[in-house]
Amino acid sequence: MLPLSLAVVPWGILFGSLAIQRGFSGLEAQLFSAVIFGGAVQIVTVELMAEGAPLLTVLFSALVISSRHFLYGLSLREKLRTKPLRWRIGLGFLLTDELFSLSGDRRAYRNNYRLYYALGAGGSFYLAWNAWTALGIIAGAWLPDLTDLGLDFAIAATFIALVIPDIKSLPILVCVSVSAILSIIFSIYAMELGLVVAALVGMSVGFALQKLRQVR
Amino acid sequence: MTLITIGLLALITFTTRYLFLEGKLPLRLGPNVKQFLSFSAPAVLTAIFVPILFVHEQQLDISSTNAYIWGGLAAVMAAYKTHSVYWTIGFGTAAFLLSGNLP
Repeated sequence: MLPLSLAVVPWGILFGSLAIQRGFSGLEAQLFSAVIFGGAVQIVTVELMAEGAPLLTVLFSALVISSRHFLYGLSLREKLRTKPLRWRIGLGFLLTDELFSLSGDRRAYRNNYRLYYALGAGGSFYLAWNAWTALGIIAGAWLPDLTDLGLDFAIAATFIALVIPDIKSLPILVCVSVSAILSIIFSIYAMELGLVVAALVGMSVGFALQKLRQVR
Repeated sequence: MTLITIGLLALITFTTRYLFLEGKLPLRLGPNVKQFLSFSAPAVLTAIFVPILFVHEQQLDISSTNAYIWGGLAAVMAAYKTHSVYWTIGFGTAAFLLSGNLP
C-alpha cells in the first residue's frame, strides 16, 4: 500500500496548486480533499466553480465522474453488506480507485484482520492525499503553473501498475482493449459519461467472451 | 456558498461509494452479475489512464514526439515484467522525461 500512497503525490500537488490558482483559499482547497477525497472529481469541480458554472452543473458533473464508484460498491457488496455500519461507512468513505484495486483478492474484507488492513490502506491514502494537497497549496502560491509539468503521467503510470498484472486471461485482455479504444474515442468527443460507458462496454465484451468459452 | 457546494460534493461522492454497501438495499447479486462485475476494476482503471496517454486537448496524439506514449509503453513493459508499482512508475517516468527532452 505504500507505493500507492506515493502514487497520490501528483494528484495531491496538482489539485492543491490548481485550486489556489483558480482563486480558492488555502482552507477551502484543503477542505475539498478532507471531505470529498476524490481526485478527478475535485479537479473538474474546482475548474467548473472557478468558471462560475451553475450549481446544478457542478453537482451533475460530480455525479457523472463519481458514478464509477457504483460499480465498486456493487463488486464489494457481497463482501461488505453484512459488516457493521461503522465498517461500511468508514470503508465506503475511503473507497477510492486505489483501494478498490487492492480489493480483488478473494479473501479481502473476510475477517477483522483483513478489514483493518483495508482501513490502514484506505486511511493511509487519505492522509497522503491531504498531506500532498497541503504541499500543492503551498507550492501553488509560489510557483507558476504546476499543471503543465506532466504530473498527470505519474497518475497514468500508477494505473498501469494496477491494471497490467491483473490481465491474466483472454477475456480480461479483450475487456481492457475495448475499454481503452472506446475511452480514447469518448474523450476526443469530451463525452461526460464516456469513462463509465467505455468501462461498461469493455466489461460486457469480456463477460460475453468468458461465457462463450465456458459453454464450449 | 463555496462551503455549501463542497459539502454537497462530499455528499454526492460518498453516496456513490456507499450506496451498494448498504445491506438494507433490496438487491441480490446472481452469479452472472458477479462475474460481470469482476471485470470492473481493469475496465474502469484502463478507461481512466489510456486517454491521459493518447488524448491531449481533445486531439488524438499518436506521434513519436508524444512522450506520454513512450512513458506508457515503458510502464506497461515494467508492469508486465516486474509486477511492481515502484518499477512501473520509476521506469515509466524515466522514459517519459527522457523522450520529452529529445530533440
